[in-house]
Amino acid sequence: MWQFLVPLLQIKEYILPLPSSIAKAFYNDWGSLLKHTGITAFESFTGFLLANVVGFLLASILTNSESLKKAVMPYAIALKTTPIVAFAPILVIWFGSGIITKIFASALVCFFPILVNTIKGLTNIEQDYLNLFASFHTSKWRTFWNLRFPTAMPYIFSALKISTSLSVVGAIVGEFVGANQGLGYVILVSSYHLEIPLMFAAIILSALIGIFFYNIIVLLEREIIYWQESIDD
Amino acid sequence: MDKNGIPIITIESLKKDFRSLSVLDNISFAVGLGEFISIVGPSGCGKSTLLKIIGGILKPTSGSLKFKDTYSILNGEFGFVFQNPVLLPWRTLVENINLPLELLDKENYYNIPELIDILGLKGFEGYLPRQLSGGMQQRVALARALVFKPSVLLLDEPFGALDELTRDKMKYEVMEVCNKLSTTSIMVTHNIPEAVLMSDRVILLSERPAKIVKVFDIKLIKPRNHQIEISSEFITQVEEIRECL
Repeated sequence: MWQFLVPLLQIKEYILPLPSSIAKAFYNDWGSLLKHTGITAFESFTGFLLANVVGFLLASILTNSESLKKAVMPYAIALKTTPIVAFAPILVIWFGSGIITKIFASALVCFFPILVNTIKGLTNIEQDYLNLFASFHTSKWRTFWNLRFPTAMPYIFSALKISTSLSVVGAIVGEFVGANQGLGYVILVSSYHLEIPLMFAAIILSALIGIFFYNIIVLLEREIIYWQESIDD
Repeated sequence: MDKNGIPIITIESLKKDFRSLSVLDNISFAVGLGEFISIVGPSGCGKSTLLKIIGGILKPTSGSLKFKDTYSILNGEFGFVFQNPVLLPWRTLVENINLPLELLDKENYYNIPELIDILGLKGFEGYLPRQLSGGMQQRVALARALVFKPSVLLLDEPFGALDELTRDKMKYEVMEVCNKLSTTSIMVTHNIPEAVLMSDRVILLSERPAKIVKVFDIKLIKPRNHQIEISSEFITQVEEIRECL
């Protein structure tokens, strides 16, 4: 439909390219597109991993200490409501225009969903279950592994799924503010040169990275949380 | 106060306040070895709170609780059954029953297949809680409470979430299991006929702050069956307790 409507409505190629032109851009530049996709995917995935590991650990520590949680949470919520991508330029100043900046930009946007969801999951335990474990006078550690952690699993996976697409957003924004490689760089440069089909090819590839990550997480979720349906789809 | 000679639990002038709210006031009684005791009273009077104090989940504001010869809380001596099954959804039936053995370091426990057999759960060992009926889930909860050979079984309205028919069947099953394993049991309920049917003694509590109104010795012969529930002694006993309420 797109292929036929575009010439029919006389839309210029530099406004909205034909699917066939995008396909041609793929064909002509597939080598370099693949390389840039690999770089962006690596940045996204590393940022995703970093944010989720650190976020999960911090959440676990915070839920074990009420006073620490009270001290940290207001800042976490204030930061959560700040548009994190606004930090991208300062990251360039701090860490340069290399790959580290993109990883941090990606990690920064993934960090709050996992932090907030893990805290919610670890603390949202029904009183009956707490009474059951209290009746065994068992340690905090055993209660954590046998009760809190499995209960939090659906919340954790919900955050992981949100992070999959956010991680790509973070990496692309990181590339926008200064890079010489990656899909964000391709999008920016092709817009300068009005190579709109190439730009669309890069946009499609960045979407595919997100979809690919998302599906891996969904597969993992089905394997790991075998006892219930996902809480958000 | 105790008719069976050896008290396993002695409670003296127990008091419990939640901030300024007085919940339990001057509660004293003893539980004999192998006895089945029911605690009845108006809803919200603090029956469950009393059970939680006995089981060591809550601390009393004042008064004492002696278990055998000691005043300290002992781990692995109390098995709880709550109104809801409270099973871990990610664990299979047999893994749920095994939970206390992983959390308590107790060496003396029941053979799990045997316990599963007694409770009529054979063949369902690998099922997840969501695949079991409400009655079966509650039987798993009972098995979990018994598996580590606790000295005392604490039942907090154990049939409250079950339908009428299952409830009717379950109370006989609990009696039979308690009898077979000669467990000492304390049950909280607001169902007087149920309390009379299952117990050696029924303790009646007042409105909050709860005091003991009266302790009733239930002299009906054991083992008890469905016939007893329509006997005149049974009905008279139930009425006697109702009048004091």
